[in-house]
Amino acid sequence: MKSLVYLLSIAVLALGVYAYEVRSDNQELKQTIHAQYTNSLSNASEKLSYLQRSVAQSLLFQDEKALQNELDNIWRTSNELRSSISNLPLNPDVANQWLRYLGKIGDEAKRAATEGDYESWQKKMTVVHQNLEKLTDEWTVATAQFFENDRNFDKWQQVAKADLEESPFKNIASNLKTYTEKDFPLTTSESDWLKKRDLKHIRDREITKDEAIKVLEKLVPGIKDATYTVSRSKEDAPYPFYHIQFVKGSRIGYADITVKGGHLISFLSERPVQPDKNVTQEKVKELTKQFIQRAGYDDLEIIEMQENHESWHVRLARVAGKHRAIVYPDGIQMKISKDSGELLGLNAMEYVQKENIKDQPVIPIDWKKFFRPNTIVEQERFIYTENEAYQLRLCYEVIARFKDDSNKTYRVVVDTENHDVIKVEQLP
Amino acid sequence: MKRRKTFIAVLLLALLIGAIPLMKPEESSAFSNQVIERGAFGDDVIELQARLQYLGFYHGKIDGKFGWGTYWALRNFQESYGLKVDGIAGPQTKKVLVNNSDFDREWVHAQINAGREFTYYGGIPLDQQVKKGKTGASKSKSYQLPAKFTERDLQLMANAVYGEARGEPYEGQVAVAAVILNRLESPDFPNTISEIIFQPGAFTAVADGQIWLTPNERAKQAVLDAMNGWDPSENALYYFNPKTATSKWIWTRPQIKQIGNHIFCY
Repeated sequence: MKSLVYLLSIAVLALGVYAYEVRSDNQELKQTIHAQYTNSLSNASEKLSYLQRSVAQSLLFQDEKALQNELDNIWRTSNELRSSISNLPLNPDVANQWLRYLGKIGDEAKRAATEGDYESWQKKMTVVHQNLEKLTDEWTVATAQFFENDRNFDKWQQVAKADLEESPFKNIASNLKTYTEKDFPLTTSESDWLKKRDLKHIRDREITKDEAIKVLEKLVPGIKDATYTVSRSKEDAPYPFYHIQFVKGSRIGYADITVKGGHLISFLSERPVQPDKNVTQEKVKELTKQFIQRAGYDDLEIIEMQENHESWHVRLARVAGKHRAIVYPDGIQMKISKDSGELLGLNAMEYVQKENIKDQPVIPIDWKKFFRPNTIVEQERFIYTENEAYQLRLCYEVIARFKDDSNKTYRVVVDTENHDVIKVEQLP
Repeated sequence: MKRRKTFIAVLLLALLIGAIPLMKPEESSAFSNQVIERGAFGDDVIELQARLQYLGFYHGKIDGKFGWGTYWALRNFQESYGLKVDGIAGPQTKKVLVNNSDFDREWVHAQINAGREFTYYGGIPLDQQVKKGKTGASKSKSYQLPAKFTERDLQLMANAVYGEARGEPYEGQVAVAAVILNRLESPDFPNTISEIIFQPGAFTAVADGQIWLTPNERAKQAVLDAMNGWDPSENALYYFNPKTATSKWIWTRPQIKQIGNHIFCY
């Protein structure tokens, strides 16, 4: 009996020590997170005040240098504030609305600085600066309790889990939504971009499930007579499509085909791929060309190929217009197995609804003056691509490299009309 | 007469033995029969890069990825050796390259497999071409990715996909990866893959620590397909499991489709 009591005492003591340690660890963890959240909140609050002041100050100047300085501050601060907001455990609606509104202010500042369109900036910001002032006040009220020195981490947990209706940020979310819609209405280009993404212009007749399967089997004959399960997209989907899941032997996969017109937008097949490399790069090119012919995608050109352990990914894009320019937003991607050359994937989402190509002046550029003397221009071709404002622009695409041993290669995209540099990226 | 016959026999035997090396099949270190060009990946490219570096034309990393650096190096080699300058390693180019350089396949692959930083210049002892005391970031498989992504992005996304959807069909795993990339394009979300994944409350796998599980090859393939453009979610920004979701808010989002246990929505 004595031994039993002794053993039980030891067990209770050990359990007590263990419980104490777990509690201490949890407490330490809570304090660390509490400190991080408070730091992010503090940063966000400071940057919000700074942003609001910078936007107000930008309305002071006519002088280009002074205004450029403020625009640069605004662009930088809006980015930093976005980062601080994204580190906070806010309701998704609040976080999303904040990120969008701040992003719009930053984009607008960048655009005004690049294009020198100060009049439009000041016109827009007269309202934005008042709204930012209101938001700053609301933010101060909503966040006041989080700065109370009471070591109460539960407040953060409540915020993280609370529904928006019960959250202290409810008013901010609703105001941000209204301000974004009013202060930054969608431009025509943004609206066109959304319409393309949501396949709004497809007017073709509706097809049945069986017809959808026929479309799939025509494009991918290898899966003919597979076992299919076909469902329709949910009612809220912006474009209705058939979701076809198939099983054939060791192949399992899916295809999404639009109800209107029966356009294949996405197809992927998964099967064990042998490590053998029986299919050469030349063969992959040949197979790609055969496929696009069969599919009737006769205006496409291969623009990039990438081999990996099991398959090749091939990128193609439409070639159009009098300059035979590559239209990057009208691309398709293919995935081809290395062991047999079988088509394992096709993504034609962007190709289904093609861009309207507009003519655009082409003003030549002297690349010797454009680039520094130690740069070699290796290739130049015309492309269509979207600029930051989602406008489709005819551009020069230049492949350039440094004249040294490093062979670092860059892709530089320059608008043919206004010579804006739309993109610079280092190529692998 | 007998002596003469013996002499001829010995001579023939000697000739035969001498000819054996000429009949020896190609060294295992030599290229395969494939024509390789930009976009290719694997052992042939490793050999191409090593041989070009041996001759002083290539100064980049020997990683088996035929990118632009390898392309220009190959063109420079072709130009210097009077070959057709096309940046394609065909039979003629490979033959000239093999005749003018050495390739220690075993040594080169050993360095790559060990994740060491090394070079392979001719005329320098190999033991002097390995960075001492330093191994590369990982010995795991390497992949070719679209220009805007890094191997770190792939690793992080594969962790997220494996943590969130390892029990889902392949389509569902690609869709989860696509949601992360759709958020990257959306103005409503942070600007980097890391910020998107670690945004508080964004992914369950981050909250419950499953993101730190080691992802399998399937999850990596799924991310690779999403990075290359596939989006089985059809532009979704969110997904949830209707059986386990506790947020009322998520049910207010417009739904697109269901894959496995996940409903994908805007």
